[in-house]
Amino acid sequence: MINAENVSLRYPDGTEALRDINLGIGSGELVYITGRSGSGKTSLLKLLMGMELPTGGSLTVLGQKVEKGRSSGIRQLRLRIGPVFQEFRLIDGRSAFDNVLLGMRFLDAPGKQMREAAQEALEIVGLAHKISSRVENLSWGERQRVAIARAVARKPSLILADEPTGNLDRENATNILGILNSFRNKETSVVITTHATHLIDPSLDAALITMDEGNLRCERSKTGAK
Amino acid sequence: MRKVENGSKMKNFFSNIGYFFKETILMIRLSLSSNILSFLSTSLIFFILAMVLTGWWISSGVTRAIQGEAEISAYFGRNVDQNGALKLVESIKAIKGVKSARLVDDKEALSDMQKILGKESEILKVFDENPFTSYIEVNIELDSVDGILGELKNLPGIDSVRDNRDVLDRIRSISSLFMFIGWLVLAAAAITTLVIISHIIRLAIQDNREQINTLKLLGAPGAFISFPFVLQGLLMTLGGGILASLLASFVLGQIYARISGPLPFIPLPPAASIINAMFTVIITASAALGIVGSMLGLPSSENR
Repeated sequence: MINAENVSLRYPDGTEALRDINLGIGSGELVYITGRSGSGKTSLLKLLMGMELPTGGSLTVLGQKVEKGRSSGIRQLRLRIGPVFQEFRLIDGRSAFDNVLLGMRFLDAPGKQMREAAQEALEIVGLAHKISSRVENLSWGERQRVAIARAVARKPSLILADEPTGNLDRENATNILGILNSFRNKETSVVITTHATHLIDPSLDAALITMDEGNLRCERSKTGAK
Repeated sequence: MRKVENGSKMKNFFSNIGYFFKETILMIRLSLSSNILSFLSTSLIFFILAMVLTGWWISSGVTRAIQGEAEISAYFGRNVDQNGALKLVESIKAIKGVKSARLVDDKEALSDMQKILGKESEILKVFDENPFTSYIEVNIELDSVDGILGELKNLPGIDSVRDNRDVLDRIRSISSLFMFIGWLVLAAAAITTLVIISHIIRLAIQDNREQINTLKLLGAPGAFISFPFVLQGLLMTLGGGILASLLASFVLGQIYARISGPLPFIPLPPAASIINAMFTVIITASAALGIVGSMLGLPSSENR
């Protein structure tokens, strides 16, 4: 599902964000990427979403090479990813339902199926009663749940969540991580970056990757073993 | 998510039409005042274009009508009797480029003038006797006018010849002027509209860049992201074109009412055909310029 070989990322200003990353994530895995601020978590996720391109090494996500000159392939890749952003990236002035539906409108799926999927996703994240509410009128926790609903309604093969609990209090953060964990299944892998390791449920069968100054310090350790 | 069958992308596009219109209206409302000003500016530009175009068409129509009735009046001396006049008619018919020739007696000449003057024909009553003389009416091919005039003047018995070349030349020059101004205004309208619309689209893209970026990250195709912006440009110019056409047709109606009453002898083309043509040209031009203007503004979304 994800295969990185000696991947590095250097920004145009010379900042070296990632160095020789080697990583493999298979189908149906739940992976937490942790590390301090500036350790490279978000840069790694940006690479996985095709927001940045590796400046060295080779990266394949869902069978698609992430490299220069593959913009069409990267767009196709994004259609199979359910992204969840720390800053939500919801569209103000639209309802929760419209925001979720917007993530599917260009998927070439039948309209009725899209509307049902949007409704179902909002029910799963516990927002069935806020379906018509404008997103700017929702609490931070509710907004993040709308963003998760938008990501999962597309039935993605890979959910990538970048610090999804960053703006939330402990109760909401735990709740959000629980929701994200629940979407991991045979066909869907979930990758979550977070610096709040204390929120990770130790009973989960999840992989933990720690990053430090652009390097993978510990590629994999079972959270349950901690 | 299950994909629809092949070939159903168009169906998917149509199912999103409501969304595209909703997005476009939201974008217009987001910068309402600048959008209203742009709409009024494009309306004014298209109104000026409509007026110049109609002026061009009307003057061309009048020229064509006068050219179609191109005729020369040949006057003969008082010493020429009826038989002599009829012989002159036969001689004139033999000149190359003459379509027909006939004798118009003084009574018919008076009657024609009374018809032309209409209510004003009362003025002719100041004369004790008929002021008009008999003459020969010669219908000609306009291209041969110079040769015909030369031969007529040399024909024994012909005193003088009157043609309407001066009038035709003047109308032709007015028509050429309108045509020149028409092309000029058309070019100016096109450039100004393109600049206004592309600028408006750039502003709309600036206002919505977060949304555009989010859609890109979700994998939305460029056409899906761009369509509401193209629709915005199209709706604004099309609206401006329709408003301008309505205003221009009202003004044109007023002009026709003022000209055709007091000056019935001016062969104006039918108002309805001019208005229909003006509507067609302005609406087509406004739609085309709206789409092109939006397209010109779109590349700025790639850079954000």
